[in-house]
Amino acid sequence: MPAEVIRFDGVCKRYPMGETVVNALVDASFAIREGDFVSILGPSGSGKSTLMHLLGFLDSPTTGEIFFENRPIAEISADQRARIRAEKIGFVFQAFNLLPRMDVFANTRLPLAYHPRPPADATERIWKALELVDMKNRAHHRPGQLSGGQRQRVAIARALVNEPRILLADEPTGNLDSRTAATILDLFTELNRQGRTIVLVTHDPKIAAYSRRQIHVMDGRIVRDDA
Amino acid sequence: MNLFSGILNGLGEIWAHKLRSFLTMLCVLLGVMSMVVTTGFVEGMFASWSTSLEEGGGVEKITGMPKALSTRQQPFRALSPGFTLEDEEALRRLLPDLAHVSPELDANVTFQRRGKRHTGRLQGVRNDIFAINRYDLSDGRVFSDLDMADRSEVVVLGTRVVDELFEKDEPVVGAWIEVDGRPMRVIGVLKHYESYYQDFNVLRWKNQIAFVPITTMLHKLKPGASLSWMNMKASHLSQVGELVDSATNILGHRHRGLGDFEVKTNDEQLASFARTKASFYFFAAGIAGISLLVSGIGIMNLMLASINERVREIGIRKALGATGRNIFSQFVAEAVALSLLGGVLGVGVAVGVILGLGAALPPGLAPVLAPSAFVVGFTFSVVVGILAGIYPAMQASKLDPIDALRYE
Ligand SMILES: Nc1ncnc2c1ncn2[C@@H]1O[C@H](COP(=O)(O)OP(=O)(O)OP(=O)(O)O)[C@@H](O)[C@H]1O
Ligand SMILES: [Mg+2]
Repeated sequence: MPAEVIRFDGVCKRYPMGETVVNALVDASFAIREGDFVSILGPSGSGKSTLMHLLGFLDSPTTGEIFFENRPIAEISADQRARIRAEKIGFVFQAFNLLPRMDVFANTRLPLAYHPRPPADATERIWKALELVDMKNRAHHRPGQLSGGQRQRVAIARALVNEPRILLADEPTGNLDSRTAATILDLFTELNRQGRTIVLVTHDPKIAAYSRRQIHVMDGRIVRDDA
Repeated sequence: MNLFSGILNGLGEIWAHKLRSFLTMLCVLLGVMSMVVTTGFVEGMFASWSTSLEEGGGVEKITGMPKALSTRQQPFRALSPGFTLEDEEALRRLLPDLAHVSPELDANVTFQRRGKRHTGRLQGVRNDIFAINRYDLSDGRVFSDLDMADRSEVVVLGTRVVDELFEKDEPVVGAWIEVDGRPMRVIGVLKHYESYYQDFNVLRWKNQIAFVPITTMLHKLKPGASLSWMNMKASHLSQVGELVDSATNILGHRHRGLGDFEVKTNDEQLASFARTKASFYFFAAGIAGISLLVSGIGIMNLMLASINERVREIGIRKALGATGRNIFSQFVAEAVALSLLGGVLGVGVAVGVILGLGAALPPGLAPVLAPSAFVVGFTFSVVVGILAGIYPAMQASKLDPIDALRYE
C-alpha cells in the first residue's frame, strides 16, 4: 500500500456563534495516500471547504489530530507548515483568491516566490502552467479584467506552477463550461497518472466520477468513504 | 524575496495609493528637509566665526600680554622692565618647541602720500608675525635681516591702507609714503581678506594693518617704549599647555617676579565657540527629531491602514507558502521604500531651498550645503522607515492564514 500523506484522526471543527455552535466537521477520520485521486462530495454548507482548509493546514481542528507524512501537524511550526505548502501543496480556492493588483503572470508566479529552492526555469514553468489552462494570451491582464472562468483557470495555473505533489482543488470547475471543465479534469487525471495526489472538492457527482475514490460529506459528517 | 524586489514591490504599493502615500511621504520630506536646512543654517552661521578664529592665529597661538600689577606689588613696579627684546631672545633660546616668536609694539600713526592722509595702526614686528597671525603677501616681500639690523624705514601695508593712499592702478611696492612725517618705502602688500557675517567683514582688521620692523619701531618711531605684546606659536597643539607654563616661568624670572604680564591661549575663545555651536546643534537636532517623529507616526499609520486593507492578500500569500518572515520583510521593505523616497525628495527640496536662500540672504545668515546633513537625513529616513515599519509588519506576519482568507 502506498504511504500515507495526510491522515485525519477524529477531527472536529466547531465554530461558536454566540449561544449556539456550528458543527462544520464532526469526527472525521480517513487517510489520503500517495497517488490517490479523491473527490469530496456533498451539498452546499456540508463542510467541504472546511475540510479542504484543514487538509492544507491553513486551519487547525477544534479537536482530533491531523498527520502530515505521519507527523502530527500540531508539532510543526507555522513557518515549517508554510514551507511545506510552498514546496508540496498546490491550492485552487473556491473563491480563486487572486491578488487584484497583480497581473495574471505575477499571480501565477507567487508560489515560486516563496519556494525554499526556487527552480532555475521559473519563467518557463509559469508559461507552461498558463499554457495548460489556455491563459497565455491573457498573461498581462489583471484579475478584474477577466471573466469568472478565466480567473478560475488562472487559479488552477497558480496551483500547478510549483509542480506540487499534492493538489487541493475546491470546486475547480464551478465556473467553467462543460467542455473546458472536461479539459481541466482530463489534465487532473493525467497529473494523477504521473503520480500526483489529488483531492477534488465538488457537489457534482458527474465531476466526482473522474476520481478513483469518493468521500461523501453531509452536515459535517463523512457519510460514505469508498476507500 | 530579496530586499530589492521587496522595495520594488513596495514602490508598486505606493503607486497604487498615490494620494495617501504622497501625504505620508510629504511628512518625511518635510522632516528631512527641515533637518538639512536647519543644519545648513547652523553651519552657515558658524562658518564666518570659525574663519575669523582661524585667521586670528588658531589654537596653537600663545600670547604674552601686559597686566596691571596688584596693589601689593605696586611699590616695586620699577623693578620690571616690561616686555623687552631680551625677553624674546630668552624665549627663543630656552623654548625650542616654539615654532615662532614675534615681539609687537603698536602705534597709532598718520600715513601721508601726495596730499592724501590716513590715520591707522602700525605694528612693529618680526617676520614671525606673518606666520603666527596668518598674513599672506599679495605683492613684494617681507623684512630682510638687513632691514632688521639697520632699522630700515620700510613698511608692509594692508589693502585698506593702500586704498587710502594710492589711486587704483598706481604701483605700490617701491613707492614712498610718509609715516608720522618720516619717509618710508613700501616693500610689500598684504592679501585682501574677506569673510562676511551679514554685511560685516569679520576679517576687516587684517586689511587695516601696516607693519614695520620691530627695531625701526623701537628706535625711530617710539624710542624707549616697552613692547605691547609677545606673540608665540607652538609647533604642535599638544605642546601648548607646557609652553604656556614655561613661558610664564621664564618671563616671571626676567620680570623679577612681578605679575605685570600674563600668558594666554585662544582656548577660551575656541571653547565658547564650540559651546555655542553645540547648543545650536542641539536645537537643530530637536527640530529635526520632532519632524522625523511626526513622519514616523505618519508611516506607521499608513502601514497599519494598508495592512488592515490587505488582510486577504496576506492570507493568500501565507496559503501559498509565505512564512511570517516573508510577510514581515515585505511590509518593512514597503515602509522603507516609502520613507526612502520621502527622504530623497526631502534632500532634493532642501538643496533647492538652501541654494535659493543662499542667493537671497547675506553671507553669515544664509544656510550652507553641509554634506553631513545629507548623510544624516538619508540615514534617518531609512531608520525611521524601519522603526515605523516594524510594528505593523509584525502585526501582519502574525495573521492566521485562515482568518485572513475568510476576511471579506
Ligand atoms: N468562520 C466561520 N464561522 C462560523 N461558521 C462557519 C465559518 N466557516 C464556515 N462556517 C460554517 O460551516 C459550515 C460548512 O462551511 P463550508 O464552507 O465548509 O461549506 P461547503 O461545503 O464548502 O459549502 P459550499 O459548497 O457552499 O462551498 C457552513 O454551515 C458555514 O456556515
Ligand atoms: Mg465550499
